[in-house]
Amino acid sequence: MKYICVICGFVYDEAKEPVLFSALPDTWICPVCGARKNNFHAEEDKKKPQEAHTIYETDLQPLSTAQLSALCSNLARGCEKQYKFRESELYTQLSEYFLRHTPQEPEASLDRITALLKEDLNEGYKTIHRIASDVGDRGALRVCVWGEKVTRILHDLMERYATEGEQFLADTNIWVCSICGFVYVGNTAPMLCPVCKVPDWKFEKIEGGIGL
Amino acid sequence: MKQVAVRNIRLCTKDCLCLYVCPTGATDTENSIIDTTKCTGCKSCADACPNGAISMVPLSYPAQQKKQDDVIAILNAVSYRKMQAETIANQIACQAGNQTVQPLMQAIARSSRLIAEDLIREAGYMLPQSANAQDFLQGLLTNPPDDFPTEIVTELLTRIPCNETKEGIIQ
Repeated sequence: MKYICVICGFVYDEAKEPVLFSALPDTWICPVCGARKNNFHAEEDKKKPQEAHTIYETDLQPLSTAQLSALCSNLARGCEKQYKFRESELYTQLSEYFLRHTPQEPEASLDRITALLKEDLNEGYKTIHRIASDVGDRGALRVCVWGEKVTRILHDLMERYATEGEQFLADTNIWVCSICGFVYVGNTAPMLCPVCKVPDWKFEKIEGGIGL
Repeated sequence: MKQVAVRNIRLCTKDCLCLYVCPTGATDTENSIIDTTKCTGCKSCADACPNGAISMVPLSYPAQQKKQDDVIAILNAVSYRKMQAETIANQIACQAGNQTVQPLMQAIARSSRLIAEDLIREAGYMLPQSANAQDFLQGLLTNPPDDFPTEIVTELLTRIPCNETKEGIIQ
């Protein structure tokens, strides 16, 4: 039997491996992208798309201050890609203004982050997928593919931190793909991003220590 | 559509064919940035470059894809939570000192921001030249708070002309 990683597509072929997939310990992770075992599905499994239950408002809500910050940092990137460096810097300054004015979240806990990630996996991305498929919006579908995989890996990292504690982050580095946001724990960045396939130099190392 | 050549310094292997073929000397600069005031858009350098380090960038862009309201609403609902996650991760990282949770929180914050940017880009803010981006900037100038840097917004509006009319026709 073959088992496939939903994040990077790595195939665990029991015919070639010394251990049956089911016999691998729960702490086993994908050798390519670091996903946990429960992100693998058997090759024969038919994909069963589950329907999302939450009905989202389709009325357009005003964006939050934090979203305005992301809107501006997105447009800063857009200007940078067009080689408009002054415009990019101006949008970055606007983005920082909104970041400074973003109100604190009342419940700032690791559990709350995990819950937000879980909500996106269980409801948010499924709803985007459904609506975007209905109207044939390929751009929205593409965001869905990258965003869902990255959300899954973030959720994994939160779960690993909760179960394995601090040691899984000791004496190693954390890398973030500057294109899709994929997070990798390891000494060096992966040769190719497992999600969006950009080369290793597109990864940024998290240095830590310094204030934000 | 008028174009100018740009060099990706990361890919440039200094074969310098661009210097040989450029009819105006626009590629020969001390800082490696092609002089767009001299570039005629002839594309000779991009064709000659053995490493594909030079590409042609248009000076005007077509109107971005229209987005439906229900697509925008759900993309916004998800980017709202991504930015909540960023805010929380930043708060925890600030309080964490040098504990190992700090770099993890910084990674979560960075990643959440990138995903939110991608969602917002698909929710109608792809192009800085779009009517959406322009309307957004205009809106910021209506009753701004005292400490709001309106000069940044005015400079952006002057520097980036809109590429759509109300009817959606490209100017």
